Amino acid sequence: MRSEDDLKILIITTLISSYPGANTVGQARLQYSPGTYIIRVPDPVMFPDDFYIQSLKKGIDGIIVMSSGSDCPYEGAYARLSARISRVYGRMKELGIPTNRLKLTTVCTVCKAAFLKEIREMQQAVLSDAAAAAA
Amino acid sequence: MSDINAVPRTDKAAADDVRVGVYVCHCGGNISDVVDTAAVADALSHHPDVAIARDYVFMCSDPGQSLIVDDIKAGKINRVVVAACSPSLHELTFRKALERAGLNPYLYEHVNIREQTSWVHKGDHERATRKAIRLTAAGVEKVARQDPLESIAVDVVPHVVVIGGGIAGMSAAVALAERGIGVTLIEASDRLGGRVAELPSVYPTEQTGEDLIRELRDHLFVEPLIEVRLRSRVTAMEGHVGKFRLLVTDADGASAEVRAGAIILATGFDHYRPADGELGYGTSPSVMTLPEFLGVLRDGSLANGELRIGQKTVKSIAFIHCVGSRQIEGVHAPQADGKVNDYCSRVCCTATLHAIREVQRRCPDIAIYDLHKDIRTYGRGHEDLYLQASRDGALFFRYPDEEPPVVADRSGAAVVTTKDVLTWGEELEIPADLVVLATGMQPRDISDLIAMRKLPVGADRFLQEVHPKLRPVEMAVNGVVLAGACQGPVDIGEACAAAQTAAAKAAILLSKPVIELDPFVAHVQEDLCDGCELCLAECEYQGALTMVEVQNDGGSVRRARVNPALCAGCGACAAVCPPRAINVAGWTLDQFDAMVDAIVAEDVESLARSERRARSFAPLAVTIGEASR
Repeated sequence: MRSEDDLKILIITTLISSYPGANTVGQARLQYSPGTYIIRVPDPVMFPDDFYIQSLKKGIDGIIVMSSGSDCPYEGAYARLSARISRVYGRMKELGIPTNRLKLTTVCTVCKAAFLKEIREMQQAVLSDAAAAAA
Repeated sequence: MSDINAVPRTDKAAADDVRVGVYVCHCGGNISDVVDTAAVADALSHHPDVAIARDYVFMCSDPGQSLIVDDIKAGKINRVVVAACSPSLHELTFRKALERAGLNPYLYEHVNIREQTSWVHKGDHERATRKAIRLTAAGVEKVARQDPLESIAVDVVPHVVVIGGGIAGMSAAVALAERGIGVTLIEASDRLGGRVAELPSVYPTEQTGEDLIRELRDHLFVEPLIEVRLRSRVTAMEGHVGKFRLLVTDADGASAEVRAGAIILATGFDHYRPADGELGYGTSPSVMTLPEFLGVLRDGSLANGELRIGQKTVKSIAFIHCVGSRQIEGVHAPQADGKVNDYCSRVCCTATLHAIREVQRRCPDIAIYDLHKDIRTYGRGHEDLYLQASRDGALFFRYPDEEPPVVADRSGAAVVTTKDVLTWGEELEIPADLVVLATGMQPRDISDLIAMRKLPVGADRFLQEVHPKLRPVEMAVNGVVLAGACQGPVDIGEACAAAQTAAAKAAILLSKPVIELDPFVAHVQEDLCDGCELCLAECEYQGALTMVEVQNDGGSVRRARVNPALCAGCGACAAVCPPRAINVAGWTLDQFDAMVDAIVAEDVESLARSERRARSFAPLAVTIGEASR
């Protein structure tokens, strides 16, 4: 039976909003699971569909894309990212990967509660999928 | 001759010789009280690409930085990873240390094991340490695949174009001229001063808007460094930071080119115009907007203790707040784009109370009713207006968010019906000789300018800054800065503060003959590019990505090429390139793949020595120079 301790959640953050947001969580000393790995990018729109699929196949349990949402400073980037994630969901279904292992969300520089909520929800999603698969 | 070039730097690292130095910071105990920093350094010492791994009490201290500098100078390492606090604090510190040691400053990766590890995993030292090892190993994988980068140098035209001749544009123009920078101020109407010039008086100085504007205008017209173009519009815009080219067309159709190193947008706002019948506007002669009422105050209708509107002497006025602002879906009709104006216009509460005070001072017998959702007199001293208005007899009623007042016309007189939250939902009928709607601010239609440079626009349709706190007047389009209400509702003081900030930003940008830009823009590896053009459709930034003919094996082939001064570095192009020929420098997909490998790896030893793909990024000076012509 898998536990929260075993999970590896990849959190993709943006330089301008969610990465500073993750720092804000740290500055407030709010605690969350160590099975979380934050990487920073100018914008997640740079990742091709395959990046998500391959990361999950390699052993990442869940991916949270914490974008800047409609506040993204790059013209058209959020719409493209959103469309891409929808396509990835389609491929995940074809490959039999539960789509709740990938989540596109918006987190800003001060979204402490949202940051923690997304992690909790992803952990629960991954663990419930694992339990269902084991059953 | 090209106007954009790479800035040469010394780089001792050869592409096929990766020797990473890893430095793990204790941060006093901020990190080492939770993370076993010695264990992290020990684990990383087994990474095949790591030549040296050390831990130290304060890496940001002079002795800490000296560890890095000495190891580089001794030839032991040619890339550096520091695992410490957030990169926002010390990434630049360590890049400069690399530069001092003669190493390209971008052969550096900063790993955050404080804000995102030790501070958030206090109860689990073992797993926090394991996480720190994986994150640091991911940093090693990234830097091992990092190419030396060069800042992008752009020649500068020491001139600024300010678009919009309201108080923000005028203020920015004067501030720039005072710094010795030439300005072309472009105004669409036939006068300067914008909305402020229309105001009968402004708080707290009680000057007229025209007086306020006159101070700036007098300065502006005698300033030889400022050229004012009235009745003119920007009809075309191209170029990039340092060298924009704008076509300015006047009302007679005559056009002239203006060159500038930076652009300040000060295009202002429009007043919200209620729809016909909205709160009686347009259907009842007794209803007008606040800007229209201020016009009445200005034109002398209020005199000798009496306010006359047409043939009527006004004995009572009802002011209704939040008309066109703080709208709620399902309650208010959407705007043309299908959205409601859900933002607060911020200045209308103070402006309304200021108008009420003016009426109370000059016509104390007029009964005043103020209907609001809540009063937001947020500025310094603005609350005094509320207290004074209340003291002098204005009656305040608070209506529910979802149930705005209703205005009916009865025999030429208005009757306002509302619920008052403050009296537990009591329903009131207020007869009023005049109803004044405190209309909010809306973004001005500058869709032509937005389309010219693909300017970012927020969900509220105002122009959007890069970051509301950290870069509050800069746009993602390099060299374009914002001043005033084009960015969102602001009062006069805030507009002028933003204008001064925008002027300072532009002045800093133009303070040297050459601008050095961050190198984190798209690069094309020409030997991998197959000319499929998929990337072109993804790029929103005009001119940033083009196809060019290049010679290959005696023939001509098409290849993608980047103009780094126009590229915003978002990476949308990289995602669709099948052979991964295009990447954002410093953030390549190969690097991210390798980082994920490190995160999922069982242990550091299992990571293979990096097989760095032989890269052949075209030399920046050639690529950029040709693309810019």
